[in-house]
Amino acid sequence: MTLGDCWKQLNWFYYQYLLVTALYMLEPWERTVFNSLLVSVAGMAVYTGYVFMPQHIMAILHYFEVVQ
Amino acid sequence: MARAAAVAAAAAAAAANSHTLLNCNGARSEDVKRSVCHCNGEKNGPRTVVASRQHRQEPFEQAPMYVAVMTYLGFGIVTLFGYFRDFLRAVGLEKCNSAEEREEQKDFVPLYQDFENFYNRNLYMRVRDNWNRPVCSLPGPVFDLMERVSDDYNWTFRLTGRTIHNAINMGSYNYLGFAENNEDFLRTVAENMRQYGVGVCSTRKEIGNLSIHEDLEKLVATFLGVESSMTFGMGFATNSMNIPALVGKGCLILSDELNHTSLILGARLSGATIRVYKHNNMHSLEKMLREAVCSGQPRTHRPWKKILIMVEGIYSMEGSVVRLPEIIALKKKYKAYLYVDEAHSIGAVGPTGRGVTELFGVNPVDVDVMMGTFTKSFGAAGGYIAGKKELVDYLRSHSHSAVYAAAMSPPVAEQILRAMKCIMGKDGTTEGIKRVRQLAENTRYFRARLKEMGFIIYGDDDSPVVPILLYMPGKVVAFAREMLERRIGVVVVGFPATPLSEARARFCLSASHTRAMLDQVLHHLNELGDSLVLKFSRRKYSSRPGLSDRPDFELDS
Repeated sequence: MTLGDCWKQLNWFYYQYLLVTALYMLEPWERTVFNSLLVSVAGMAVYTGYVFMPQHIMAILHYFEVVQ
Repeated sequence: MARAAAVAAAAAAAAANSHTLLNCNGARSEDVKRSVCHCNGEKNGPRTVVASRQHRQEPFEQAPMYVAVMTYLGFGIVTLFGYFRDFLRAVGLEKCNSAEEREEQKDFVPLYQDFENFYNRNLYMRVRDNWNRPVCSLPGPVFDLMERVSDDYNWTFRLTGRTIHNAINMGSYNYLGFAENNEDFLRTVAENMRQYGVGVCSTRKEIGNLSIHEDLEKLVATFLGVESSMTFGMGFATNSMNIPALVGKGCLILSDELNHTSLILGARLSGATIRVYKHNNMHSLEKMLREAVCSGQPRTHRPWKKILIMVEGIYSMEGSVVRLPEIIALKKKYKAYLYVDEAHSIGAVGPTGRGVTELFGVNPVDVDVMMGTFTKSFGAAGGYIAGKKELVDYLRSHSHSAVYAAAMSPPVAEQILRAMKCIMGKDGTTEGIKRVRQLAENTRYFRARLKEMGFIIYGDDDSPVVPILLYMPGKVVAFAREMLERRIGVVVVGFPATPLSEARARFCLSASHTRAMLDQVLHHLNELGDSLVLKFSRRKYSSRPGLSDRPDFELDS
């Protein structure tokens, strides 16, 4: 349960991600490009969720007439 | 007395046909083969033999759905990056290392825009350090590789000068271990080279017909149990140059889905109509035969001049064995001819190494054209076609390969002669039959252990060709590189040779692999299977330790 084990496990997960998406075959700069694209798209999704989730939840509760 | 004891000991290790035990003294190979066939026929009848083989033949297991999805995802991402890099090259931001047209030709029809070139530039080039590795020793059970590195992502290589010694060889077609440089075994080959030299400098038809070729052909005919045979210098050319001599326009070829390129090339060159049936699927084949016999040729509805069914003994990418008794029954019913390409199965299957006819207990006379190669089990080069005397005599004058190709080199012919005599036992030792049995044992052990571990493997339980399915392109590359790190040489195969989503690593077992080597390979495979997550099989196998060591008695039961 040390930090070293945690780091090894994360490394293994990153290796699996590289293998499954075939980024293992690409050059390092291509991996950087793909990873940045993925992180930015995921980040935008998370941010949108964070900004609009309260409004969506209020609308649902209002529809089911739990809150007026 | 000692030899009889040795024979008994060797045979007791893997339970085999009792008649083979008594007769296998080496002198009467014809009797051995006939007695094996008759034993299988009398004791069980061909139907029981078929039933037991069908019971053991498993259909190709399918991987879970998420594996297919991830495979296509990986290919999609690499293809997108391929388009991106091509764009950079077209715009000029990146230097193009592969071939491209000259400036003056840019307005002509483009040469390098088709899919094959795209795939080559953007997928194959990235990872091509896993293929064409320079081997600097003989391809025995262990071999030496030259270490090479690339500074520009595999566009160019340079040799570092170091050698990787004693890597275990799981890729060479060395089924009976005849790729050896033992002085005693190769004595006859060396003497032959002193007598005949190496080059023949002519074709068989002109002045290149040496006495050693005649001896070889007689021996091959005896080995297979047919009337006569003819040998050629190159295995691929045996198929592609002889099929045009056998069939022509107005004939029909029914060829299996997964036939080798040489068979397809020969069929296309002949000009006959080609119809493809699903792999090893007898319903598909029978439907096509029925339709061909009823309707005849496409527009005129005249009957076909000849119907030729082309199959292989063992399919090299799947390791599956052809369903020979059923195909022979179909061929007799619909009066078609049968062409069997035993490139991988001759010498490697069957209790005495005579190929698929012996494995199924089928009379070799039933197969019209038996073809095979000497590259795999005999450690030489070349091919043969065997069958009735009229067929072979016709081929001697009408085949392109016989008339125009250079004759087989004498030392190569002598190597085949000594290998074949060794298998038949004619050289007075039991070395040949020991190797055949060792190969069968290695095959059974390796396949059973792999299935236990949970890999998806294709193919029949008897075939020494073992493909392990890897599916995803990233894993294929990582597998090959990791195995080289652990000093095991494997062959991985990807898209053009296999379907897009079924990339695999193909292991070719050899009689010269010891149990220790196999255990080492299996140990590394187990580790890699866990670290790369390759164990996709959803079958349940019991992991009793004694299971994989049980001798195989199902061949006779």
